[in-house]
Amino acid sequence: MNLTEPAVRVTGLTKKFGAFAAIDDVSFTVETNKIYGLLGRNGAGKTTLMQLLTGQQFATSGTLEVFGASPVENARVLQSLCFIKETQKYPDSFRPEHVLASAPWFFANWDADFAASLAQDFRLPLNRPIKKLSRGQLSAVGVIVGLASRAPLTFFDEPYLGLDAVARQIFYDRLLEDYAEHPRTIILSTHLIDEVSNLLEHVLVIDEGRILMDQDADELRGSASTVVGKKTDVDAFVAGRDIISRDGIGGLASVTVTGLSEAERAAARTAGLELSPVSLQQLIVQRTTSTTSETASTTDAWSARS
Amino acid sequence: MIEAGKPIFVQIAEQIENDIIDGVIEEETPVPSTNEFAVFHRINPATAGKGVNRLVEDGILYKRRGIGMFVATGARQRLVDARTDQFRANFVGPLLSEAAKLGITAEQVASMINAESVTDRNASNS
Amino acid sequence: MTALLTGTATSVHPRSAPARIWNVVRLHLVDRRTYIGIPWLIAGMAFVVTVFMAQIIGFTTGGLGTADAIAGQRYSWAVLAPQGYLIAVGVQAISFGFPLALGFGVTRRDFYLGTALLFVLISAANALAFAVLTQLEQLTDGWFIDTYMFNAIWLGIDGFWVDLFSFFVMQLLVFFIGASIATIYMRWRMPGMLIFWSALALAIVGTVTIITFTSNWPAVGLWYGAQGIAGIFAWLLVPAAAAGFGGFLALRRATPKN
Repeated sequence: MNLTEPAVRVTGLTKKFGAFAAIDDVSFTVETNKIYGLLGRNGAGKTTLMQLLTGQQFATSGTLEVFGASPVENARVLQSLCFIKETQKYPDSFRPEHVLASAPWFFANWDADFAASLAQDFRLPLNRPIKKLSRGQLSAVGVIVGLASRAPLTFFDEPYLGLDAVARQIFYDRLLEDYAEHPRTIILSTHLIDEVSNLLEHVLVIDEGRILMDQDADELRGSASTVVGKKTDVDAFVAGRDIISRDGIGGLASVTVTGLSEAERAAARTAGLELSPVSLQQLIVQRTTSTTSETASTTDAWSARS
Repeated sequence: MIEAGKPIFVQIAEQIENDIIDGVIEEETPVPSTNEFAVFHRINPATAGKGVNRLVEDGILYKRRGIGMFVATGARQRLVDARTDQFRANFVGPLLSEAAKLGITAEQVASMINAESVTDRNASNS
Repeated sequence: MTALLTGTATSVHPRSAPARIWNVVRLHLVDRRTYIGIPWLIAGMAFVVTVFMAQIIGFTTGGLGTADAIAGQRYSWAVLAPQGYLIAVGVQAISFGFPLALGFGVTRRDFYLGTALLFVLISAANALAFAVLTQLEQLTDGWFIDTYMFNAIWLGIDGFWVDLFSFFVMQLLVFFIGASIATIYMRWRMPGMLIFWSALALAIVGTVTIITFTSNWPAVGLWYGAQGIAGIFAWLLVPAAAAGFGGFLALRRATPKN
């Protein structure tokens, strides 16, 4: 595998279901050995995009290269992938032990000891029928496979439905530890942006089938600030700037803008304005809602799952 | 520990700087590896690496081949000097301009500071 | 920046096509109960029931060893008891196996070839076992208690090799029918199911109608009789192969359901 080549290169990719474009003329690249966040609201096209990248769906048009070739029916490419999705189906009679026993036949880098220790961390009963596992335990099966497979390109599609906060933290910790020791390309799709934002090196935000942001996570993190103060002062300060969102009550205004330098921050403070940082989640929520509606009740769309 | 809205690599670099200034990490001793930083702070290793790299570029840290990153000799003094300059710019400057606005002279400010530090010392002694 | 990462990047040595296909066979067999344990458990229970039934019939009719009693047991379908379950196994091999295999990074081609190989191997093993048991049953005069389960329907009439061949074809057909139904669903979902079942119903009704209206039932009966057991099962290879190849073509463009 050529490490200087991107892991994924997508150009003009479109996937239509009937007249509906789930993925709409999308182009981006994924560099090797980075952790990517694929973020977006439910139904934005995250899962479809990952199904296309793993050869599970067929593109309507555009080109799609994973490790230099189309993944569709390409054994060489597919052997380097691992796709963990929330809705993974298992044969009726399967128990977690069957999944862990068969996984090494398909993932050349499988680490059985790691899988066993993860199973303990997540308290996964290995010999209970998968049908009888709780939602969280079922998610743990996928998370264990995704981590222990150490595939050069690993996709986690909302991998932790039903996992409690402790188990999710275990997942993040193990992911980081193992990634540090065995760097690989990881694409993590989630709506829990706050929880994962520090793990990400790069962020892809998808909305209504289009890539809305494709940016270094750290650049994005410092890129916006919310300015709060008297409406007239705030308006004067933000005039001519890239405004992401605007909110206000009475004579007070709260405006989120991008790209403030240190000097400008100091100027804002001396002008009596309050500056507060914008988290990755707030930033993305504001960006994805501003394109669809003007309402300020933005967090609902993210916290509620359909 | 990691706050939102500020590049994480900047925060990592600042934390290492603080540790050097406080003497937690002494000169010519190793700093934790990038991966150790990443796992400890629950951040991406590349981001931690960026913070460490920034200090390497500033000459605060240097790399020993095959061993890791070490604190350079004289790093603490240089950090203290830089922070002193920042302190003057960020605090003393605004302090005096605000004082001027209120008609407080520099001498009055100095005596205020003296009085404050005496009460501070008394408070911490009792 | 990557220079700072101390770990070594992961890469994968590709596996050969035969190894990949064999791994699909192993995936299906990782839970041995599905293809081996449960079918033989069903066969075993069918045997126990057969023994009880034979004893009751023997008690009421006054003797099991008579030619009438042996011929009567031919009408029992106990020997085919696992087949209903095995159709469902054929369905599940696709409906559950396909999404799992794709999640494991298997190509559709490798998955289908591995699954087909599994069907051939299990069919061969079952055919051998049932043909041998049919012979043993004859040699032991019905397991020494005049109870015949394996010498039933068409088995045990034309000898070991015909039993072996016919059971193999029948088993293969059972698996591929189940698998192709699931494949049609996987490829075309509900519309596919509707079209498939209505087309099948139409074909059966149409054939029966044509034969009836042309008064050809005697001719069909004659043709059927002339084929012999081996001949009929040789013909059944045609639908088995059609289901097998059709399934392959359909699955190559199928997408797993979310």
